[in-house]
Amino acid sequence: MTLFTRLYRTIVITRLAVTLWLLYQIPGYWRRLRGMPKRTDEELRQTHDKAADLILAAAFRMRGVIIKMCQAIATRSDVFPPEFVNRLKECHDRVPHKSFDVIRPVVESELGKPLDAVFSEFSETPIAAASLAQVHAARLHDGREVAVKIQYPDIEEIVKTDLRNMERACRIYEYFEPQPLALLPLLKELTLHLGLELDFRREGESADRIRELFADDEHVIVPEIYHEFSTGRVLVMQKVGGTKIDEAEALEAMGFDLYEIVQDLMHIYVRMILAAGFFQADPHPGNLFVTEKREIVVLDFGLSKQLPEGYGLGLFELMFSLMTFNEAAMIRAFQELGFETKTGDTDTFVTLARRMISRSDTGAFEGEFTEEMTNELFNAIRENPVVTVPTDFVLVGRVFAFLSGIAHTLGHRANILAAMGAAPP
Amino acid sequence: MATMAEVDLEKLVYTRAELLTSGDYAEPLIANGIRCHGGFDADGVYGSPRVIHRTPAVLAWQAQLEQGGHELIGIARALMPPQYPNVEQAKLLLEHGVRDPIVRALTIVSIVEGFGAIIRDVKVPKLDELIVEPIDGSALAHLNQGLFEAHARDESGYREEGGHKQMWEAARDLALETPKIPGDVLMRLMGRRRRAAKAKRPFPQLDEKLERMLQMMAQVMVVEVFAMGTFDWGERLLSDPEVSAEPQAAGDMVRYIRADESPHIEYLRTGLSEIRARTLRTVDGNTISGREVVDRLIHRILKAMTTHRREEQREDVRAGMKDAMQVAAEPTQLLEEFDSLDSSWTPPEKTGFEAPAAA
Repeated sequence: MTLFTRLYRTIVITRLAVTLWLLYQIPGYWRRLRGMPKRTDEELRQTHDKAADLILAAAFRMRGVIIKMCQAIATRSDVFPPEFVNRLKECHDRVPHKSFDVIRPVVESELGKPLDAVFSEFSETPIAAASLAQVHAARLHDGREVAVKIQYPDIEEIVKTDLRNMERACRIYEYFEPQPLALLPLLKELTLHLGLELDFRREGESADRIRELFADDEHVIVPEIYHEFSTGRVLVMQKVGGTKIDEAEALEAMGFDLYEIVQDLMHIYVRMILAAGFFQADPHPGNLFVTEKREIVVLDFGLSKQLPEGYGLGLFELMFSLMTFNEAAMIRAFQELGFETKTGDTDTFVTLARRMISRSDTGAFEGEFTEEMTNELFNAIRENPVVTVPTDFVLVGRVFAFLSGIAHTLGHRANILAAMGAAPP
Repeated sequence: MATMAEVDLEKLVYTRAELLTSGDYAEPLIANGIRCHGGFDADGVYGSPRVIHRTPAVLAWQAQLEQGGHELIGIARALMPPQYPNVEQAKLLLEHGVRDPIVRALTIVSIVEGFGAIIRDVKVPKLDELIVEPIDGSALAHLNQGLFEAHARDESGYREEGGHKQMWEAARDLALETPKIPGDVLMRLMGRRRRAAKAKRPFPQLDEKLERMLQMMAQVMVVEVFAMGTFDWGERLLSDPEVSAEPQAAGDMVRYIRADESPHIEYLRTGLSEIRARTLRTVDGNTISGREVVDRLIHRILKAMTTHRREEQREDVRAGMKDAMQVAAEPTQLLEEFDSLDSSWTPPEKTGFEAPAAA
């Protein structure tokens, strides 16, 4: 990456940070000077909308970490206002791809060979593009169809530069803002995840680990990783196709019972999260497919997460306490999962749980974390700044909310307890 | 259960609140520092929760059945497979420091007990429309009027009170001094992976909700009856001073759970017997004998649980046994001794619920 590029990125990020700061501060000063009342909620919402638009525009122009940061913000309704969360969700599936001329040298340099020495065919148009990499279809000389995931050139440098710039911006923001949002912990978490996601060898190992977990289940497909052709920046894997898991009509046309598909999907995730404590943490429909034999295909292990020992049992205990309305057990479970109150007042946990349960369809917890419930929990946390939320929980909550979204699209429920075997026949 | 002399056999209708009411206790049951349901009278005798009306109610419904000339179904003890590992095998393991299989087994029992709460989610259809004969003043009329809810609360606890889940955990922790829970408990609980598949309906001519409810009741009743074997096992093992740190307290805890479970078996077998004594309407406007439905459901469940499910359960336990034994000084010898203590058992050929031979 050239000095010019680095400078350019620094300037853009600094300008964005200053613009945002001014967007929020100037109306406040202006009102104070003129003795006007504070901004109304509606006015504040409009400011959030404007700010989210500015961030999104910068993200699409700059890619790299800003897109990742936006994706992270979009999953943290416990920290950010809904206007940010809803607008920045677009970063999940609207990332523009890079031209093949830019991508080809990365593959050749990583493999140390010309493209045609490894592949007999290589599609120049990507089948998917994300913030750090894009995926091309190809064929090996022995005839195997593969998907090749390639990091964008200079992405590591871009990530480092962006992270440095964003950290500076966050520190300045926290210095000037009397009640700042907790951006630095989010940035720290993002830095950790990005380090993992940029290492494709690790992603390959994660895929191997999850495939091993389902070795006894021929109906779960985790693509084979061809390590001999893979490096830290290029991942060559078995190409597996199928119908996207949320395409209800297509699945029914294939003769599948959608209830059974939901059960299979839930069993896979409950087994990974609660039972094994290691899971693919990005279950959006672009990463989950159903084959003609009704196998479930799980893709993209860049964001795979190892939970601390016993965490699955802790999550189970929390769900169990919610199901039985046992407040003492709820408090114990929240604490075991790493939640903390700054004042030591544990009743706050009960309030959080009540608010979350109040958003379930039945007014009771029956084994499902819907998106509405997790959003309500995170809203309650955001409005109650005395609570510290463990990032593991946020990630797990996000996964279950995603699964609930898929299940509801298919007309069913994502019941975690039922996937564990606790279900009426 | 209350004795017949104490029961008003004329009273056949109870409110939901009555069926969920517990008596007054001189002292609450505290297990593992957690307030659990039930409690003790002034003489220190344990009393189960939610039985002061439930027990007389069930006895009255049973008496009514008998007066009508109908039998009360029961499952033969001979159908109960022995525990694996049995008490002697479990003791052997604990004596050699092999604790994980036992801790895992007890933890899984506690979780499965807790899952009992889902019985409150069983959808009860409009039974008076689906059954030809009246159901007033029967257990059937009270399933969603307190019976399922009381059962759910007993198993999993409710609000500030712990239930059987917490009581099993307490028994385990008392006897084995709050052991470390093996990390694979939930993996073992989920067991072997089977692809989700809607089971073929045994009685497609029945209303689907009714069929599901009857299947659930039959399944839970068989599990509850077989669980008596688990209680025997738990009580004997955890009250054995050679392997238990708190033999009296741990054994008592299992005895309390067993006492609480008895009303579950009783109301379920009463409800199923009432169905057996009646005629069910089918969706196509015909009828089918309740006896045919109930017997076939129970027969299928018993066949499965005494044959391949038992084998699978043994294989699953066995799978981790070799690894677990590595903590022992002589694992190979220990495994041989363990195997030599195994209980031999052959499932009886008949379940007692076979369809009558065609004339």
